[in-house]
Amino acid sequence: MASVTFQNVIKNFGDVKVIKDLDFIVKDQEFLVLVGPSGCGKTTALRMLAGLEEVTSGQIQIDERVVNDVAPKDRDIAMVFQSYALYPHMTVYDNMAFGLKLRKTPKDEIKKRVQEAAEILDITHLLDRKPRQLSGGQRQRVAVGRAIVREPKVFLFDEPLSNLDAKLRVQMRAEISKLHQRLQTTFIYVTHDQTEAMTMASRIAVMNKGILQQLDTPQVLYDRPANLFVAGFIGSPSMNFFPGTIVVKGDAVEVDMDSFSVTIPEGLADTYKGMNGRKVIFGIRPENIHDPNFAPVNIHDQRVQAKVDVTELMGNETFLYMLNGKNTIVARVDPRSHKRVGEDVEVIFNMDRLHIFDAETEEAIR
Amino acid sequence: MEKTDFIKKNLPTILWGAALISLYFVFSSLIAPYSSGITLNSKIVVDRLKEIGGFLLGIFGALAVVEIYFYQIFFRQPTNQTSAIIIRSIQAFIAIVAILLVLYFFNATDLFRIGDGGLGKIVNAPLNLQEALKNALIKSKFASKTSAGTTASILLSLVFFILYAVIHFISKPRASKTGLAYLLILPAFIGVLFLIIYPFFFEIKLAFSNASLGTQATKNAQYGFIYGWNNFKTLFTGTVAQDAKFGAVLWRTVLWTVINVTFHVLGGMGIAILLNRKLMFKGVYRALLVIPWAIPTTIAAMALRNEFDSRYGLFNILLGDLNAWLLNLSLHTQGVIGIGNLFHWLATVIGPVSWKQDPFWAFVSVLISNIWLGIPFMAIVILGGLQSISQEYYEAAEIDGASRWQQFRNITLPLLSPVLTPAIILGVVWTFNKFDIIYLITQGGPQEKTDILVSSMYKAAFQFYRYGFTAMFALVIFAILFVFTLVYLKISGGLKSATE
Amino acid sequence: MKPNLISRSLRWFFYRSHGDSPFKTLLIHLTLIVACAIAVYPALRVITISLRPNDTLLTTDLRIIPQNATLDNYKEVLFGSPEKNRQSDFFLWIWNSLSIVLVTSIISVILAAVSAYAFSRFKFRGRSAGLVFLLTTQMIPAGMLLLPLYIMIAKLKMINTSLGLIIAYAVTSVPLTIWMLKGYYDTIPIDLEEAAYIDGASRFTVFTNIILPLSTPALAIAFIFSFMGGWSEYLVARVILQKNAIFTWPLGIFTYAQQFTVSWGQFSAASVLIAIPVMALFLYTSKWLVSGLTLGSVKG
Repeated sequence: MASVTFQNVIKNFGDVKVIKDLDFIVKDQEFLVLVGPSGCGKTTALRMLAGLEEVTSGQIQIDERVVNDVAPKDRDIAMVFQSYALYPHMTVYDNMAFGLKLRKTPKDEIKKRVQEAAEILDITHLLDRKPRQLSGGQRQRVAVGRAIVREPKVFLFDEPLSNLDAKLRVQMRAEISKLHQRLQTTFIYVTHDQTEAMTMASRIAVMNKGILQQLDTPQVLYDRPANLFVAGFIGSPSMNFFPGTIVVKGDAVEVDMDSFSVTIPEGLADTYKGMNGRKVIFGIRPENIHDPNFAPVNIHDQRVQAKVDVTELMGNETFLYMLNGKNTIVARVDPRSHKRVGEDVEVIFNMDRLHIFDAETEEAIR
Repeated sequence: MEKTDFIKKNLPTILWGAALISLYFVFSSLIAPYSSGITLNSKIVVDRLKEIGGFLLGIFGALAVVEIYFYQIFFRQPTNQTSAIIIRSIQAFIAIVAILLVLYFFNATDLFRIGDGGLGKIVNAPLNLQEALKNALIKSKFASKTSAGTTASILLSLVFFILYAVIHFISKPRASKTGLAYLLILPAFIGVLFLIIYPFFFEIKLAFSNASLGTQATKNAQYGFIYGWNNFKTLFTGTVAQDAKFGAVLWRTVLWTVINVTFHVLGGMGIAILLNRKLMFKGVYRALLVIPWAIPTTIAAMALRNEFDSRYGLFNILLGDLNAWLLNLSLHTQGVIGIGNLFHWLATVIGPVSWKQDPFWAFVSVLISNIWLGIPFMAIVILGGLQSISQEYYEAAEIDGASRWQQFRNITLPLLSPVLTPAIILGVVWTFNKFDIIYLITQGGPQEKTDILVSSMYKAAFQFYRYGFTAMFALVIFAILFVFTLVYLKISGGLKSATE
Repeated sequence: MKPNLISRSLRWFFYRSHGDSPFKTLLIHLTLIVACAIAVYPALRVITISLRPNDTLLTTDLRIIPQNATLDNYKEVLFGSPEKNRQSDFFLWIWNSLSIVLVTSIISVILAAVSAYAFSRFKFRGRSAGLVFLLTTQMIPAGMLLLPLYIMIAKLKMINTSLGLIIAYAVTSVPLTIWMLKGYYDTIPIDLEEAAYIDGASRFTVFTNIILPLSTPALAIAFIFSFMGGWSEYLVARVILQKNAIFTWPLGIFTYAQQFTVSWGQFSAASVLIAIPVMALFLYTSKWLVSGLTLGSVKG
């Protein structure tokens, strides 16, 4: 039962500023996912929380306690490493029991807890083996088991699924979510994979270049990204961005992209009325661009001409890569729309789902 | 349940213990009838254990004193002004005592002769204190004469620990990131300081002295630049040991190093390439080929020395047989023009050789011996390197149409170089310094014609007792190797990758 | 025998690696057999001489098992000979060697294991300078420091004691062992240590419970290296030890060779007795010895 607070945390490695002023709160029992491209400082943030890196300035709290100078062993946390970091010379049982032994837990208690954890993770039959006799997925479970038996206040995960194959990753994702529901403890999970973040998190913190970009629930992050980076990072394939200019024509507001222009629907247009001539970036997700034959009804549609460049058939959907002037448009359309490469097509933008960002600050304009 | 678990867990240990104990009893009962013929007895064993035990106790005790001292410097800090004054003065006191002990050590080993004057009295103070305490202990019948010295030392070192306890109780913990690192390297650092750095400076001082047997080593030796100059001059104009001149010995050392390393690498490479394939009996070949490396050098050297005996040695027996065979052949082919003469000529050239008297053959004999000893090591190192080269490169090269030789030139050699280059460099340095074979087989003879630099130096020191001269000699050899290393580092781009 | 079997065993012998013709394979086997003979023969000769009766020691006979082979030499080496009223020092020498070399190896492995850990895991001032310095000490000729060490040991009145030789030996092996172990520690993932810290371990526990168990192979190699180095050392021992009672075995067996009547038979018998266990140990560990060597000094 614990909350975690980062207060104005800064971390420098020599002259390199890895984390610039990190400031957020992880609520008790929350599953927070720290996501971002590699080198964004997310792992460093986790390692500072674990006590493996020192904090250059600022404060980290677990509950009310400032832990900056507390040794890792006294922080009451457990961590699952990317490499699993299982002790190769110990059996699975000893691996899981090591932390408890160091804390002088009675033997019976250790046995009970390890058994329990092993049952939860379905690794009871592996307890006598050494790590090198296990498969990747089994090692992963043991690493999680080692964290569980400690019954810590906070669980830390450092890209734990990145060494697994795709199928296993999906399976473990579900299991970790289940585990969180079962244990009702604070989870902090670092990954570079936005799918993992979206599927597991109760809230997601998106980081880039040592700065927290946005911290919110997955749905808000997807629907209302705070800036260009978050908009591009969340969602796959990523959002289409077209640099353009706002043109106010009486009551109507348009965004002019040189090769084409779009009209902002009435309900949304008010925000942009005073911005005539402003350089913006117009964004729309591929799933909001449709084949006219299969477009949903009751949307504010905007027809755009383009030429098909590449098509990718996924079975349940089709990705169209189209060219319009200098712009590439990616659309995720119904599989029944059979477009050929080189064909001139018309697609429909669902203008209710548009995003507009300032071209300079890259912040969303709402 | 618990009990059986315990037995199960410790079964290997118990079995090993039982096996060792029974082995001991079997062995001792086997030896018992002959024990009168053996000089080793339990008293010798116990005495040695006592001697070494005391030594280790002393070493680790002294280390503990030093380690705690630095531990407190890194990890404790004063709580207030008064405690700061007390702590710092205690630490200063201990530092002074330590410096005095080191100075005493210098004095006792003759690096600085401090004498018995004012400074001498201070330097000797800690030891005098120990002596006084010892006498007091004997007088008060507190300890016997034999144990008084130890008891006094223990009592005195107790003082240190009391002082440390005082510091501990008036200080508070302090965080230090690198303190532990220094504490960890401290013991090795002290060892290196006393056993490498100190002797090195000692050597420099000796080089500028006339120390020899006549001066009873350092006891009556004179020091001064002029002696150093004389030693230096003698090195290049006089003889390096008794007969040989520096230039000739240096040339021979270069020959010795180059020939040895060349043959080691070529031979090792050949064997490694032959072994680096699927082959029947590979393990057997490997084990047999390593034997020259596995044999203790002393034994190998003596065995080979025997084989170079002019009458009973293997080489001359074989050469003699070959000679007789050629003579016989020339008799049978007398009629055939050319061939008969050829065999006759061969018979006059090939025959037993005087390995001991002829300087050339003596040098060949030590070369043969050292090459024989050194090939297995290189072979194993190179084999390890070869095995780490993926077979896929060769398959790719074969598809590209590369010949075996091209594959060797363009794949094997470049990929082997990370293993080979350091091995060759180390090989050069080791061979340059390796003279046990020479010393054991020819003793450098005849007339020092098989000596290399290091063996001459060894003889100058311990056969002719030219201490001052030897020290200068050693410095010059060190300078040569140092320049070699610098050149190597320059070529190879330094040690950066290794120390990162 | 079925022809099938013959052809199969032939194929087995020629166990063809990719692209080698049978003729080439045969040539490789022949070359290796000759190389093995050259490697082994001098060692076999030592055994031959040790088996010769005393009256036929000097002979041009090249047979491996001599005529009238006898174990008398071994008996005399081990247990002395009551007829000649001579006692055997063999066990004494072995004990001297063993006690000196074991202590040296233990001290140097402990010192190296601890400081190599600091060099591997800590970033502190003077770290790379220290490492380069340690390597430089290996450039110092073995005989170079011998003279000052000898004078030092003499002044400390440790000539003819085991302690003197322990001191002299300890110097040589520590720097290289530090390099070797540092190289090994570097290969142990730092994650393991961090996991242990989070599990509740202190620096000390991590060192004893994670690092040391994981590096037992390297520690064993370091120990064997140091042991082998000292075990057959002759030149330093000759300078420090001058009394028969404290001789190590390399000095000891030379007493057979340096008396007026050189007793080659006994010399060889003693050599065989000493060499066989050492060689067995060596052959058993040689694979790891090389990997340790490449780990430490070659790869850095």
